[in-house]
Amino acid sequence: MSAVERSDQFCDGLMLRVASGDREALGDLFASEAGRLIAIARRILRRKDLAEEAVQEGFIAAWKHAPRFDPARGSARAWLTTIVRNRALNMLRDGQRLRLTGDDMARHGESDSSADAAFEALDEADALKHCLSQLDEARRRSILLAYVLGYTHGEIAAKLNAPLGTVKAWIRRGVIALQECLS
Amino acid sequence: MSRDNERFAHAGDYVLGLLDDDARAEAERDMERDPEFAETVRRLAERMSSLDHTAKPAEVPAGMWDEILGKIATLPQDHGTSPPAQSAANQNSATHTTPWRKLALAASLAAAFGLGYAGGFVMKTVPEPVVLVVLQTPDNTTGAVFEAFADNSVKIIPLADFEVPQDKIMQVWTLYDASVGPVSLGTLSSAEVTTLKGQKLPVPAADQLYEITLEPRPGSPTGKPTGPILVKGFAKRPAG
Repeated sequence: MSAVERSDQFCDGLMLRVASGDREALGDLFASEAGRLIAIARRILRRKDLAEEAVQEGFIAAWKHAPRFDPARGSARAWLTTIVRNRALNMLRDGQRLRLTGDDMARHGESDSSADAAFEALDEADALKHCLSQLDEARRRSILLAYVLGYTHGEIAAKLNAPLGTVKAWIRRGVIALQECLS
Repeated sequence: MSRDNERFAHAGDYVLGLLDDDARAEAERDMERDPEFAETVRRLAERMSSLDHTAKPAEVPAGMWDEILGKIATLPQDHGTSPPAQSAANQNSATHTTPWRKLALAASLAAAFGLGYAGGFVMKTVPEPVVLVVLQTPDNTTGAVFEAFADNSVKIIPLADFEVPQDKIMQVWTLYDASVGPVSLGTLSSAEVTTLKGQKLPVPAADQLYEITLEPRPGSPTGKPTGPILVKGFAKRPAG
């Protein structure tokens, strides 16, 4: 069993305890996952304080909705990640990312490259790495900017200096080819 | 193949977070209706999550957990439906007769947090109740409807307001075997749509008795009904 699988199983067990009203188990999950989740939210929101807020609200939502958690449908880590990702995306769409400080702006360039860095950091044996690398660069970058940094179609168009319709077509063809490759 | 392509494209927009709120809610409804689409989303989300695992863990601020703990200390968990928030007026009154409302709250909360889907996690499909119970009040009006599921979880849909004094609680009972007597399924402190957790009991059968009695908090001291019956009724199998 891989480290990720072991850690998945550990978190599933904790989440089932949370579902039965165990706050300490949520504390253990927090200790195990909060750092990772803040990092994921921060890729999207850029700002440390907002990323922490997304994670805090995510854990509160996870507590409230824990009885819905069903390990047969996906791991607790994936569930938590999506709660936090969606919270971060909602905050982003509410325009909060626009209120960046100078320091945050300085990190902007660094942040853009973190989409590529996430791709580079994928394990060579990971089918996602293989299938993403089969895509044209424009399609791959569009998909990475959307998923890793939470960019909208419009932001990707601005970033890659391409018409909006072109970006939509890149993503559409990109995700179709990606799933054909992965299946 | 073009049907596959449409499904792949739609799942891609969803998993990449490119949909606006309305389109996302629509996609989540599609997932409930279309298991093939739900599975496509689940698989793509699972694959894409490798990218999340590349994030180097950030520093967690001291005190963050304590803040969360403070917020969840009094926050009830959502067992299928969300209890509507009570108004301050209700909380301050000696008895609360909360109107049964805001049935859609659970759905909207789930949508707000994107809980319909979670990294391949699709909200549990709604199970079918094995029996329905229409419960009558002592003056023969319909007071509540129950849906009882195979695991003995019970969804309680009150149709009347019940006065519950602050030192009392409503306790839900079923009688599946006269030699065992009534067995508690749980308690509820106010008249709200509630789902009580499953119990290790035989699968609910037709003609099984269900009732709610008014008991002292936190529940009947004897483990059997001691207070007045608020509503009572017999289980029926849903037609079809």
